[in-house]
Parts: sequence; C-alpha cells; structure tokens
Amino acid sequence: MLDPVPPAVALPSSRRPISVPDLLVALGVVLLGVLLLIGTNQIATSGMNTVVGPKVFPLIVSFGTLGLGVLLTIGALRGHRAEPATEEDTDPNAPVNLASPGLILGGFLLGTLLLQPLGFVFGTAVMYFTVAFAFGERRYGLIAGVALIVALITYLLFTRGLGLTLPPGILKGIL
Amino acid sequence: MDAITSLFAGFETALTPINLLWALVGVTLGTLVGVLPGIGPALTVALLLPVTAKLPPVSAFIMFAGIYYGGMFGGSTTSILLNTPGESSSIITALEGNKMARKGRAAAALATAAIGSFVAGTIGTMLLTFAAPAIAEIAVQIRPEAKFSLIMLAFVTISATFGGSPLRGLISLFFGLCIGLVGTDLQSGQARFTLGRPELLDGIEFVTVVIGLFAIGETLYVASRLRKDKASVIKLEGNARMTREDWRRSWKPWLRGTALGFPFGAIPAGGAEIPTFLSYTLEKRLTKHPEEFGKGAIEGVAGPEAANNAAAAGVLVPLLTLGLPTSATAAILLAAFQQYGLQPGPLLFITSPELVWGLIASLYIGNVMLLALNLPLAPVWAKLLLIPRPFLYAGILVFSTVGVYSLNNSVFDLFLLALFGIIGYGMRRFDFPVTPAIIGVILGPTAENFSRTALQQSNGDYSTFVRQPLSAFILFIVALSLIVPAVLKSRKASVVS
Repeated sequence: MLDPVPPAVALPSSRRPISVPDLLVALGVVLLGVLLLIGTNQIATSGMNTVVGPKVFPLIVSFGTLGLGVLLTIGALRGHRAEPATEEDTDPNAPVNLASPGLILGGFLLGTLLLQPLGFVFGTAVMYFTVAFAFGERRYGLIAGVALIVALITYLLFTRGLGLTLPPGILKGIL
Repeated sequence: MDAITSLFAGFETALTPINLLWALVGVTLGTLVGVLPGIGPALTVALLLPVTAKLPPVSAFIMFAGIYYGGMFGGSTTSILLNTPGESSSIITALEGNKMARKGRAAAALATAAIGSFVAGTIGTMLLTFAAPAIAEIAVQIRPEAKFSLIMLAFVTISATFGGSPLRGLISLFFGLCIGLVGTDLQSGQARFTLGRPELLDGIEFVTVVIGLFAIGETLYVASRLRKDKASVIKLEGNARMTREDWRRSWKPWLRGTALGFPFGAIPAGGAEIPTFLSYTLEKRLTKHPEEFGKGAIEGVAGPEAANNAAAAGVLVPLLTLGLPTSATAAILLAAFQQYGLQPGPLLFITSPELVWGLIASLYIGNVMLLALNLPLAPVWAKLLLIPRPFLYAGILVFSTVGVYSLNNSVFDLFLLALFGIIGYGMRRFDFPVTPAIIGVILGPTAENFSRTALQQSNGDYSTFVRQPLSAFILFIVALSLIVPAVLKSRKASVVS
C-alpha cells in the first residue's frame, strides 16, 4: 500500500480514520476471490457427461468471495474496523506482542522439520519448549524436563496404547 | 410408542460395560476440556477422530456425545469461577455466576448450573427422543432441491447470527467453502485448486482445518495478548450445593430456560447464544429479587445454563434427522459420521437404528454421570483452572500436532496446520467468527452434491430450486434472513444519527 492513509482531520468528525490493517485484510479477501476465479478457470472441463460441470460451484464461491471482499473493502474505506476477540486468557488492554506468536510458529516449524530425522519425541519437545517459553515461562530446566516427559508419554500413549505409527527417529530401537 | 421401544433397545446397547466405560471417558474428557481455556468440545472431538477410527462406531459416538454434553457442564465452572468467559454461550452465566462466586456463593452457583444443566439436558434428550423419529419420518421425503435449500438456510443463519457482523460471518463461510472445494471433484474426476500438489488431490482434511483454526489460532492469539496478571480464580470450599431457598428460586428458571433453549437449538438459528440471552432477560423481568440482578442473582445463572444445555440437545435434532449441523461441534460430529461411512439424515434411523438409539440412550446416561461428576468433584475441576498457562498451551499444541500428523503420517499436513493456525490468528484479530468456516468446510461438498443431484434430475434446469414448493419456501426464508437483519440495522442506524 503506497497510498498514504488520509489524515484523520480531513474526515468528518463522525468518521474514524481508515485502519490500514483492516483495509489490508479486506483487500486480501478480494485477492482470494480473484485467485479463486483464476483457479476456477484452470479446472479442466472434461468430456464426461455431467449436467453440472466441476466449474459451477467454484465459480459461485469465487464470485461470492470477491463480492464480499469488495463490500468489506468499502467498509474499511469508510473507517470500519474490527474489534479483536476477547478470550479467556487474553487481556484486551495488554499491548500486542507479535514476537510471542512468531516464536511459537518458528518453534512449530522447527519441530516439524525435526520430526522425521530426530523423531517424534524430540520434534514435539522442541514445540512444547518454545510455546512454554513464548508464554513467559523462564525456568528452562523445568520446561525442558516437562517437554520431554510430555512428548515421551504422548509418543508411548499413541503408539503403544492406540496403535498409531509415529516416527521414532534417533530413539529407534530404544523405544 | 415406537420411540420408547427403540429407546429401550438403545439402552441395551449403551448399558454394556464397555460402552458405559466409553461414556464415562467421554463425560470426563468433556468436562475437562470444558473447564480448560483454549480447548473445547469441538476441538477435542476433532483431535480424537483419527484415534477412534478403530473403535466400533457406537462406542465412538457414545464417547463423543459424552464430550459434547460434558463440555457444556465444564464451561459453566470456568465462567463462574474465572471472570473471563470463553465460549459465547457462557458469557451470560459469567454475568451473575461470577458475581455470586465473589460474594462467597460459588458453591450455590455451581450447583444451580450443574443441576439446571442436568434437568435441561434430560428434558431436552426426552424431547429429542420423540421429536427426532417423527421428523425423520417426514424428512425421508425431502427432495434434493429442498435439502440443498436447507443447507443454504443453515449457512445463512449460522454466518449471520454468530459474531457481530453478518458480512464477516459470510466471508468466514466462503473461506470454508473454498477450502472444501480443494481436491478431486468426485463427479467429474477433475482436480480443483490443488496447485499441482499431489497431497491436495484428496482434499484438505477438515481435522487439519479445525485444529489449525481453533487450537493453533487460539494459542498464537493468546500469546500475542496474554493476560499478565494472574487470572483471579475464586476459591471453592467444599462441594457444589444449594440451600432450600436456592432450590425454590432455581427450579422455575431451569424449566423456562429449557423451554427457550431446545427450540432455538433445533431450528438452524445458530447455537446457544440467543436463548441464553433471552432466558437472562426473561428471568430478570420475572424475578422477585430484581435488586440482586447484576450483583449475583441465582435465577440469572439457573435460567441461561438450562437454556444452554437444552439448546445443545436441540442441536442434535437437525443433525440426526436432516444431517444439518448448526454448531461447530455438531459439524464435527457430522464429519465423524461421514468418516464411518454413515450419512446422518432420516435414513440413519432405518439403516443404523442401533447406533442412533444407542447414542440417544447414552445421552441420558451421560447426563446422570455428569451430575455425579460435577457436584461432589467441583473442587477438583476448579483446580484445573490453576494450571500454569505456559504448560497448558504447550500441551495443547503438542496434542494438536499428534492429532494432525497421525491422519496421514505426513509432514505436509503439519505445514498446512501452521498455515491454518495463522489464518485462525487473523480471524480472531479481525473479528471473523470461526464456526461458519468450519460449517462451510464440512457442509460445502454436501451442498454441491445435492445441488448437482437436483440439477441432474431436472436436466440442468436451475429453476427447479424455486419450482419445488418446499425448496422455494426455504429459499424465501433464506432471503428473509439475509435481508431483514440488514434492514433493521440500517433503520436503527438512521434512528441513531
């Protein structure tokens, strides 16, 4: 968005200034609609004898998404903005901290990548550790211990108890 | 009375020791996840789906039903003892319940919530017992056009009533619909929106979507604005119990709440929020102690809690008889049926009577178990609220990972999970309700199937949807439920300005 946000003073007092994040989300919905249309266009209509082809429903969904996105964009341009949700453990007045969710996501992706080579136990232990850390726990030894125990118990519960296959990784032969 | 005979057969199924055990596992898990923040019954059933694939369907559904009812009981404990309601349907309970708890009447608030839930759940299950087969008998004759229209009705009412903004609800619904489109189209064999990834040819597992949007999205969102002060959990001493006076003031609100809740759950009007709110308003008007309202009136807990549970029973009517889910948990139960190759709907009562009636019978049993679990064990559940959040959310994330990974043993699914987690974060941040998206993912393909069947029968004539009388009538209501709220809103806005 290269266009500068119109200054609040330029608007009538009853109108709130445009919120850039809200506008971006609205444009994102429009973009999704456009991408869906392009995707719909790429669906092959085969020679199979179907009265209603595979494109009809996607077309409706694409135009619906596009139309709703446009409505949301108009709303955002008029200064509408979304109220962030309140959850049991959130504080609506707390300053927004994007580092913690970023950390959790990073830990999750790292754990996912380690899942096959190191095995399920260490992969999920990495995830557990980062979430607990991101939520403000600083007793590292404690988190590491709990992370390994939870991961190990989960592994044993799901593989031995419920018969699922999870990657053992470097613990192969030990577990 | 056919229903009674069938119900007795159902009890024979549900009362076997192994199924009683599954019911107990279900209600215990349900109460647990109901009490714990960050995880709810919808998420739990979704997480358990891959695990239960090997169980006989009857046992799995008896457990799921226990989780479904248990979540309702557990949710009230949280909203009474912790003044930060999570699920929207327990906001009203928190209003008076938490005030009561602060005045040292936590035991009475928990007791009236639990007993009210039991009363409403039992009456609601009785209504379900008799209403469901009757509706199923009529519903057998519903044509595909009307089935499609019914799904449209569910789409519109759920997106327009959940959350504050119909527009945002509809966007969430359409997002769900487009996720549902990904994969191979079964009727033509064409790949749709697969971006050339072979992993996407079978479509996106709805479990991944549900867990991503709910569990991962919630974890990321809570982490971004975590409550720093220790949440003030009110200490509970002794069991949940009520005095004679409390009983006298509670029983009428229980019954009135039930009467409000059940029909609202049964029609696709979008869950338990409206009846709990109506029940609260009604009790406030009828009470002999208006001065106590807003300061901890027991009627304000008893009525809405009963309405909440009766609505939960009501939701099962359209789910079992029409295959139409009207809440997130119901949508996941529908998907669970589909996983077992069963299609909920009128035929279910004919093709799998053992399953349906075993499930209904288990609801009665589950309610009794929940009462027994919640009254004397209330202090134990209350302790769960003290679990340090870092460890709780870390555990939720690990369980989510196992649930999704074990679907296909695929790392690709975990990347999808992260993606849906980010989207779930965005939906919370920008006020998009999650439930319509879940309903869209699960019901979208069904809607497409019905519309195609209808159009094939009419040789591609689209007017069939408005020429078939029932379908036309339902579509008329769909149009009304889209237009009326918008008109009311604009009139209200013009009056204000």
